[in-house]
Amino acid sequence: MTVELAHYLYLLIAVLGLALSVSYGGQPVLCQGAFLAVGGFGVVHLERAGLPLAAAVLAAAAIAACAGYLVGLLTARLRGAAVALSTWAFAWLVYTLLHAFPAVSGGSQGLVRPTPARLNSPFFGVTVTLTPWVHVAVAGTLCLLSLAAVARLTRGPAGLDWAALREAPALATSLGVPVLRRRAALFATTAAIAAVSGAGITVLLGVAAPSDVSPLLSLQLFVAALIGGTARLWGPVLGLLVIAGIPPLGDALAGAVGLPAEAAGGVLTALALVAVPFLREPIERLAARWPERAERPREPVEHSGESATPTASRKGVMLAAQGLDVGIGETDILTGVDLEVRAGEVHALIGPNGSGKTTALRALAGALRPKGGRILLEETDVTGAGQFEMVRRGVTRTFQRTVGLERLCPHRQVLLGVRGGTPVPFAAVRHLFGSTSMQDYADIADREAWRALRVTELAQRAFDRPGALGAGELRLLQVARAVATGSHVLLLDEPAVGMTGPERAALARVLRRLAAGGVAVLLVEHDLALVYGVADRITVLDRGRVLASGTPESTAADPAVRRIYLGDADPSSTRA
Amino acid sequence: MSGGVALQAFLSGLALGTAYGLIAMGFSLVYRLTGVISFAHGDFVVGGVFIGVLVVLGSTPVAAALDVVHSVGLAVLIVAAGAALSAGVYFVAVRPFLPGVGHRSTRGDVLGWVAGGLAAGLLIREVLGLVLTQDAYAVPDPLRLGSLTPSGVLQLPGGETVSVRALGVIGIGLAVGILVERLLVLTPVGTAMKAVSEDPTAAALLGLPVRRLVLVAFVVAGALAGLAGLLISPDRSLGVDDGVVLGLKAMAAALVGGLGSVRGALAGGLALGVIESFVVASSVLGPHYADVVPLTILLIVLALGRRGLRSALREDPE
Repeated sequence: MTVELAHYLYLLIAVLGLALSVSYGGQPVLCQGAFLAVGGFGVVHLERAGLPLAAAVLAAAAIAACAGYLVGLLTARLRGAAVALSTWAFAWLVYTLLHAFPAVSGGSQGLVRPTPARLNSPFFGVTVTLTPWVHVAVAGTLCLLSLAAVARLTRGPAGLDWAALREAPALATSLGVPVLRRRAALFATTAAIAAVSGAGITVLLGVAAPSDVSPLLSLQLFVAALIGGTARLWGPVLGLLVIAGIPPLGDALAGAVGLPAEAAGGVLTALALVAVPFLREPIERLAARWPERAERPREPVEHSGESATPTASRKGVMLAAQGLDVGIGETDILTGVDLEVRAGEVHALIGPNGSGKTTALRALAGALRPKGGRILLEETDVTGAGQFEMVRRGVTRTFQRTVGLERLCPHRQVLLGVRGGTPVPFAAVRHLFGSTSMQDYADIADREAWRALRVTELAQRAFDRPGALGAGELRLLQVARAVATGSHVLLLDEPAVGMTGPERAALARVLRRLAAGGVAVLLVEHDLALVYGVADRITVLDRGRVLASGTPESTAADPAVRRIYLGDADPSSTRA
Repeated sequence: MSGGVALQAFLSGLALGTAYGLIAMGFSLVYRLTGVISFAHGDFVVGGVFIGVLVVLGSTPVAAALDVVHSVGLAVLIVAAGAALSAGVYFVAVRPFLPGVGHRSTRGDVLGWVAGGLAAGLLIREVLGLVLTQDAYAVPDPLRLGSLTPSGVLQLPGGETVSVRALGVIGIGLAVGILVERLLVLTPVGTAMKAVSEDPTAAALLGLPVRRLVLVAFVVAGALAGLAGLLISPDRSLGVDDGVVLGLKAMAAALVGGLGSVRGALAGGLALGVIESFVVASSVLGPHYADVVPLTILLIVLALGRRGLRSALREDPE
């Protein structure tokens, strides 16, 4: 009985680790059993090689972390279904390897390890015999520790990154979050925790057998992690119930109907898997209840001149495109586009639908690689730099559609931008261990966040639920996230979509305020009234070419521009 | 490796690859129409074979010689059981989670059909496992391809021998595979499927019975899986759990052939079969690597696929 309890607690550790990738990272990972195998077989082999138990466990966890990081990197770009397929294939690959190489796995009998083990500490002169109760204590402590660690991490920078990874990876990339590396790191952590769990089970049972780490186990752990989900406290408890419930239920079923116990367990796992998609929604609805705060942190007092952007000293052309050719697949979208965005100016990019405005913006932000021409940032050639690097260099864009992070209040969303723009190395780890330097960073980040909220007139809404914000305010929030990165070039894609008249006026104020602070703004917009109200300079695109460029007055007077916008102003040109 | 061994390996690889190709064709067909990665697909192969054998023999499989009636019955039943399993899984585990017609933008409940497919495969394995308790069984050969010549081998002029069974499997498998591929290109149903695969919403607006066409695709895919099982199972002992790895190998074949191309899937299957066969025959790698190499290929193709594959498998950057 005690042995079983310890076994379930070890499996719960694996579930908690898996929940990092599944519930927090949003990746359907189906190969947790494979990492348990790395821990279980690894610890036996390392001990045989002469390492003491604790070192063997740590080494096995490190090996699993490396393997996890590699698998994580390989799957990081894939869609959800393809991630499920790859990890499922990986689970079977490891299982097949264990069967194919009895030297590693000890064949179907498995590798035997003497039990109960004694743990000698040369430093303290203590010897602990690893009885099942010791295992229960160790596993229970590890469970509580990982729960506490996850709870602390979600409150810090890691929680912001995870929410972005899970709900809007494209947005995360555009704000400078290294999505691929974050996913791989989560994967590595998941794998390391699984290895510890696997090692614990091997030491507890005294044997590591391939059949104990079969892909069926991976499925069971996945079910438990999904059901547990992101619900903080009772989620893992529910997960444990699923894990602990299947074998006895299987035995009971086997006893009642006369089936083999293993098969009954498999059938139950299948049923639980089927139940997951149906159960997930109500559980998520429960878990997604907005955490009401008893008291909201008060908005800090604004010091004079604080909302002015620190980049005011910059002058002249910030971002320039020279003869830019961009195509998507075989289709050429832009040909020979020249464009200059100056510090302290709002530069509007207008043109009919399909003229290539958004494509130009994506190319400038590094999301599309141009086929020809150059992009210069303050006279440095940045052609071909990725989106991620462009954010680091201070060029950030927003999306045409509203990308939301439903679970984060505007203040936290803006903080995401701050962290993306000025990354702190190992922020999550340092936050976890309460490093004092992180407190300073957090204060600076908080000030930056409030600056962005004030500039975009959202300070009143800082702690509201995003669902409670109006469509126009959500558009402003997109701008606020980009402002928070501290970029001195902002590329805004139709920020006024869905805005009411007063909201448009507010947007115009925001844009002028940004320009006054020295930011270079490139504005793609259809609302000509707004454009002519705020723009210092206008470029008109038509079918991928620059039709006209200059001051609002000169472009408004341009006959070619009048023709595409007003149908035809000059009857003489069409009569021919 | 001598020339004779290489020829043997090549032919048995082609035979194996024909089966992989047939399974992969169904996989690609389903993917093309619905975007669904069918996780239970390999289990249709094994499920079809064992259901057929259990029904016809009335007992757990033995490599018995069958009379003509039983042979024909078994062959038809295996294919039909594969098709029925596929259709059943579609109704129970896939259809509830597909995006509704006209709602292509919402991609449906991906986690739903992933979990549904995994659960369906698991259920097939576990339910069959209740009756079939051994690790593996020898399965009778209703087509009797091996007894076309008395010795089961064909003597080549150079003194080499090749297995007649392998030639038969290649012949039948390729004939059916090419026939199905041609039917998909030439018949109105095939054209309608192509329309659905390109734009289900537009196809529905044109009055095409999208749901029924998807069902037809699942049935054809299941029948192809059953046929593949019928062709290869007598060559090897077959276990209930072999389905998953078979399915994953077929997925590798479909991916190698460019996901969504039925023709490519058949070619990919042949390539994968030959590779596997040479791995097994090689003195360096050997039979240990029979499953390891294809699974590794699957992982590599998934991670580093070509441009067309990438857009299908990777997240939208926007």
